[in-house]
Amino acid sequence: MSGTVIISAATMTGLSLLFAALLGFAHTKLKVEEDPKVERVEEALPGIDCGACGYPGCHQCAVNIVKGKAPPDSCVPGGDEVAEKVAEIMGLDIGTEPGKKLVAVVHCGATEEFKQRTGEYEGVESCRGIELTTGGNIKCEYGCLGYGDCEEACPFDAIHVTNGLPEVDPDKCTGCGVCVETCPRDIITVEEINLDGEFVAVACNSPDDGVTIRKKCEVGCVACGLCEKLGPEGAFEVQDNLSQVHYPEIDEEMDFETAIDKCPVDCIVSLSKPTEEG
Amino acid sequence: MELFFIFVAIVLTQNFVLHYFLGICPFLGVSDEMEAAFGMGIATTFVMTLTAIITWNINNFILEGFGVEFLEYVSFILVIASLVQLVEMFLKKYVPELYQTLGIYLPLITTNCAVMGLALFMVLRDYNFVQSAIFGFGAGVGFTLALIIMAGIRSELMEDAIPEPFRGTGITLLTAGLLALAFMGFSGLVPV
Repeated sequence: MSGTVIISAATMTGLSLLFAALLGFAHTKLKVEEDPKVERVEEALPGIDCGACGYPGCHQCAVNIVKGKAPPDSCVPGGDEVAEKVAEIMGLDIGTEPGKKLVAVVHCGATEEFKQRTGEYEGVESCRGIELTTGGNIKCEYGCLGYGDCEEACPFDAIHVTNGLPEVDPDKCTGCGVCVETCPRDIITVEEINLDGEFVAVACNSPDDGVTIRKKCEVGCVACGLCEKLGPEGAFEVQDNLSQVHYPEIDEEMDFETAIDKCPVDCIVSLSKPTEEG
Repeated sequence: MELFFIFVAIVLTQNFVLHYFLGICPFLGVSDEMEAAFGMGIATTFVMTLTAIITWNINNFILEGFGVEFLEYVSFILVIASLVQLVEMFLKKYVPELYQTLGIYLPLITTNCAVMGLALFMVLRDYNFVQSAIFGFGAGVGFTLALIIMAGIRSELMEDAIPEPFRGTGITLLTAGLLALAFMGFSGLVPV
């Protein structure tokens, strides 16, 4: 009996050692000569495999960066910080200027008390759902529905709906643009803001003219053009019945207080800037 | 002639996937793309052939020699796991695209019960060395055949308007079942 045990143990040990030796030998023979840079670049990337760079995952992105097929700032959510690290590994300069950051901006200012609901909605609690089934349950066809599809979609927990309106946490936001694609009403855009200037936004997205919009929303942009006149030069432009901010023009010397004060519909809002660069 | 019968039997009449229903996981998992299906088939064929050859030797010379046949399960798994590691290293080095495509399914060949089944059937049926080698190779060919047919059907299905409840796994399983039925038509082709 004990003989069998010993023989069994010996057999298995022998076989295991044999295969271990074989695999060990194969490992040295078949070792993949991967560019060590790939590993370092991959470490610098966020590793979330979001696919925003156009490759299936961070590994493929790293491989293509090292091959030179992709620029070092390929990683959208990684932003400047990752781009700098990658560029350093690759010994390259990056294209994006420092002191700028991509941030999602919400172009609607209708908090719950300003939303003019047209009816009770009892379907799936989702903006896309309500937009598809009823075309929305607020008077304004362009305004935020407030059911928080963007909050759900955000991979970085950077956008939260409070009082019927999404608020972007500029520090967490990476400008990846997932919310932009999710929002059925295209209320959100991703803007490159200058960190040394103020961060303001026009909280309206409606191309309706002033008369029409007054009937639908109290805080909709009436395109009066006061911001263009009273605000810093070149910062605002009214186009298609809607005021727009020229983010690349904004610098530290610009003062937006008058524009924000004088806007008759309180449509220009000052937003908190990201605290750190990156 | 007998060798030919063994080969035809394991490829067509007693196909591992469609007759014994072994190795269903990779059969369903990797059969949605022709290229990956073919690669998986080749990789599995390689593992199966080598498994047959090596396990036959181990069984006949080591296990039976020492009278410890009950170790067949453990030692066979050892063989299979090592071979899969080998294939993985080989593919990573020489065919990295296929390595990426197969992904998780490659190490899963280890737990592909068709490979284990092959080794155990061989012992059960008392095959000699040449018969075992043919049996192993045939099992791989049969597995590849099943995968490729399935991949072909599934690529056609992609274009079709499938009723909502059947989409995805549902239609795949139904197809697999129908395919198995179709393969029953081969029964009686060879005397095994």
